Amino acid sequence: MESILGGGGNVPTTAGGVDLTKLSDTDKAELRQFIQAESQKASLQQSIHSLTDLCFRKCITARIANGKLDKYEEPCMTNCVERFLDGTQLIVRQLEQMRR
Amino acid sequence: MDSFSGTPSSSDPKAALITQVRQESALSNARQLVEKVNEHCFERCVPKPSTSLSSGETSCYSACMEKYMAAWNVVSKSYITKLQREPSMS
Repeated sequence: MESILGGGGNVPTTAGGVDLTKLSDTDKAELRQFIQAESQKASLQQSIHSLTDLCFRKCITARIANGKLDKYEEPCMTNCVERFLDGTQLIVRQLEQMRR
Repeated sequence: MDSFSGTPSSSDPKAALITQVRQESALSNARQLVEKVNEHCFERCVPKPSTSLSSGETSCYSACMEKYMAAWNVVSKSYITKLQREPSMS
């Protein structure tokens, strides 16, 4: 995504029908920043999608009778997210130890 | 949405690009949600597909969809809270 606005050797001059050569340097800098923030947001959303998928599978096991999360399901979802992230941390720490 | 042909060339290319990126991002987020909701709810609500969705299956779908979105919001909140508490994880 960042390559749209330069940086690499092969710089496209248009993006989505917009002529990028008409942009000022300030505009380019601003756009670069915008796109960076936007792609960070997209990757956050992606993580939320895959965690919802994973945790829904684990926590919502009873027959689906209504649309609200019940008193077991909601804390289960929260714990699922938190423990998954703990797991990530644990793996990273152990890998670091193995490297030494 | 085919944004590469339909976008009228605006006098402000920067604003046009920003609008377009925002739209595409929102669209891909929505598409992802629809896909996941259907994956889960089809599995849960339609054990034996017949010639049409029964009223029971339809109401199961509405409940399932609402539940999935509630779950999405809980995940979103816990994930962000956890990341803020332990910034080393992001």
